[in-house]
Amino acid sequence: MDPLHFLPAWPPASTPLGWVAVLLLAAIVTGESVRRFLRISRVIGYLAVGVLLGPAAGGVIDNGTAGQLRIFVDIAVGMLLFELGQRVDLGWLRRNPSLLAASVLEAALTFMLVYVAMTWFGIRPVTAAAAALLAVATSPAVVMTSIKDLRAQGQVAERLMLFTALNTAYAVIGLALMVGLLDYESHRPLATMILHPLYLVAGSLVLAGVLAMVMLSLLRLFGRRPAFQFSATVSLVLLTVVAATMLKLSVPLALLLLGVFGRLFDHERHFVSLRFGETAMLFIVLLFALAGASLEFTGWSTAVPLALAIIGARLIGKALPILLLSHASGLALRKSSLVSLGLMPMSALSLLMLHELTRRSPALASEVGPPIFLAIAVLAFAGPLAIEFALRRAGEAAEETQ
Amino acid sequence: MSDMDFSASKALTMGIELELQILNRRDCDLTLGAGDLIRVLERSGHPGDIKPEITESMIEISTGIHERYDTALAELRAIRDALVAAAQKLNLLVAGGGAHPFQRWNERQIFDRPRFRQISALYGYLAKQFTIFGQHVHIGCPDGDTAMYLTHAMSRYIPHFIALAASSPYHQGTDTSFDSSRLNAVYAFPLSGRAPMLDRWNAFVAYFEKMRAAKVVESMKDFYWDIRPKPEYGTIEVRVFDTPLTVDKAAALAAYVQALARYLLLERPVVVHEDMYLAYTYNRFQACRFGLEGLMIDPASHEHRPINEDIVATVGTIAAHAEALQSTAAMRLIRGWAGTGTNDATWMREHFKRSDSLADLMWQTSQLWGGMP
Repeated sequence: MDPLHFLPAWPPASTPLGWVAVLLLAAIVTGESVRRFLRISRVIGYLAVGVLLGPAAGGVIDNGTAGQLRIFVDIAVGMLLFELGQRVDLGWLRRNPSLLAASVLEAALTFMLVYVAMTWFGIRPVTAAAAALLAVATSPAVVMTSIKDLRAQGQVAERLMLFTALNTAYAVIGLALMVGLLDYESHRPLATMILHPLYLVAGSLVLAGVLAMVMLSLLRLFGRRPAFQFSATVSLVLLTVVAATMLKLSVPLALLLLGVFGRLFDHERHFVSLRFGETAMLFIVLLFALAGASLEFTGWSTAVPLALAIIGARLIGKALPILLLSHASGLALRKSSLVSLGLMPMSALSLLMLHELTRRSPALASEVGPPIFLAIAVLAFAGPLAIEFALRRAGEAAEETQ
Repeated sequence: MSDMDFSASKALTMGIELELQILNRRDCDLTLGAGDLIRVLERSGHPGDIKPEITESMIEISTGIHERYDTALAELRAIRDALVAAAQKLNLLVAGGGAHPFQRWNERQIFDRPRFRQISALYGYLAKQFTIFGQHVHIGCPDGDTAMYLTHAMSRYIPHFIALAASSPYHQGTDTSFDSSRLNAVYAFPLSGRAPMLDRWNAFVAYFEKMRAAKVVESMKDFYWDIRPKPEYGTIEVRVFDTPLTVDKAAALAAYVQALARYLLLERPVVVHEDMYLAYTYNRFQACRFGLEGLMIDPASHEHRPINEDIVATVGTIAAHAEALQSTAAMRLIRGWAGTGTNDATWMREHFKRSDSLADLMWQTSQLWGGMP
């Protein structure tokens, strides 16, 4: 018998929790460092750690580990989308219809311009449409994190959240339709093509509606104590993730709607004082690190022109309608251009959607994989810088307290 | 012409300024929005005057010059409607109230930067407490001597004004037990309080020039007195009101000041003397702390009586003047509030008791401000 059996084996066996600890610590330290020494967004630090430790750089986190940590991604995305949904005031669209028009038009024009650019490069229509769909959504993670990080408040911050929630919803619904289209391509019957997206959207609506009412009755019953509200909300967000997954519904759509309904049905304003605090931040940091780890860096040399076309088309598609409707919606042109800039980030959610698409249609991955990954990577790193610049220039960022 | 020349204005005309809170619709905390709001209002056109204040979460509305209560009220309502419409477009709320009940100063910076730094460097934490919202009522005076008389004679009624308008019971998330906690923030400033006992404009100008030469002050704006003459407008300015929760109350309070001014100027019931201020700080404290139920000491008779009883008696005394000014309707309101002993602080405490949420209280407050029942 080994006389030193009480000593651990070397190297020690790694566990998922171990990776969480390592990744979290590295990401937080790097995030704080880039903030303090480079004065740029912490998100850049979180992403960079993911890239360095991820498979692309031959790091310690391989795809298997990333898969084991998937639950943290789900929790983070869940809380983010819920909070975004909750912060969005659909009544605002009624009070200021120009905003609804701007939102619909920015999403539609982004989709069309990216689609045209892709087909111009000779990409098949179905594939081009899938890529264009990804370009519609702004990263909720980056928008929410930057706004909270800078404690930004004002029209630019509010409109960024509104437009992001809406374009995320459009993209998620579009994805459901796309999935139908891909079903059709793989020669499933026409009925499937129609019923599948219908099930995704209607099912997510019903699920979110029911759970939002459950949540509000809990809050009504047990009052406004913040700690209770926080725990109850997190539990219901998790429940929504699980239920949506089990029912094969759209998880992002269900969460966004849970937030929106949670606010819409809240006639007695139970939610008025709810805030997600630092606990939620931990999951978000992990989300960015894992997003960084899942960026792919192959075949980039040929992907540059197409990636640039995607980014350019996306910028124009988002900026043009928002600028045109600037005055009608009651905002100075200068601030509207900052809103357009702030809508640039693409990040974790785009990656999740891309994985969802490529899983269903491997052909799509081979056709446009590298340019889309490149576009997402560029906007994942440039996006946080753009949005922080926009919030600061708008005078909406609070001074940082050291 | 010096900035201390008193520009004559028509006696007993009035003007009202209100500092208002700008809130987000999510958690009803103060938010930045004055600049965007003013931009929307300027493009659509609006009655009255709407100005930015030192912080982006405060906006100031002011009426033109009015002789009558009903026209002042109508203008205030029109300004309010324009403001509420613009706020809806930007998803903001506007509310009255003397202080925001739960905003935390160390958590957010709301002052625009250069001026905030200057004030903050001078006053330290006092500057941070100074996110408070008041109503100012201007009363026109034909000359400086009249203004000085009115400044001092009106001081007896300061507890009335404080108690009637008090709407800042909550501060930094707690019930301060004061009806008007806002004034505590004002009184911490070195140049707050009352004007010196000078009854001639020449003498006052001489005093001011000495203060300016000594570099204690740069302009009249540096005096944070409860009542101060405003030579530029040809008025005296009563500054102790918390911003009420409704424009209707703001107009009634202004009418009360106007009727008192008419009584004081036409009947000259008191001779201006330093003894008028014997009980001044005592009365003021009582009004801030206990509102309409506070006790006040009559500086002339040394009689103690509850502030609300003194108001009811005063409304009776000045009834003929109110009638002449066509503001009897406003006096009925004043008497009603005094009679029931309820002010906005009472209303706020009742609502908070029901909802147990200061955010919800601010939501209700903004609805009340918007003219919704």
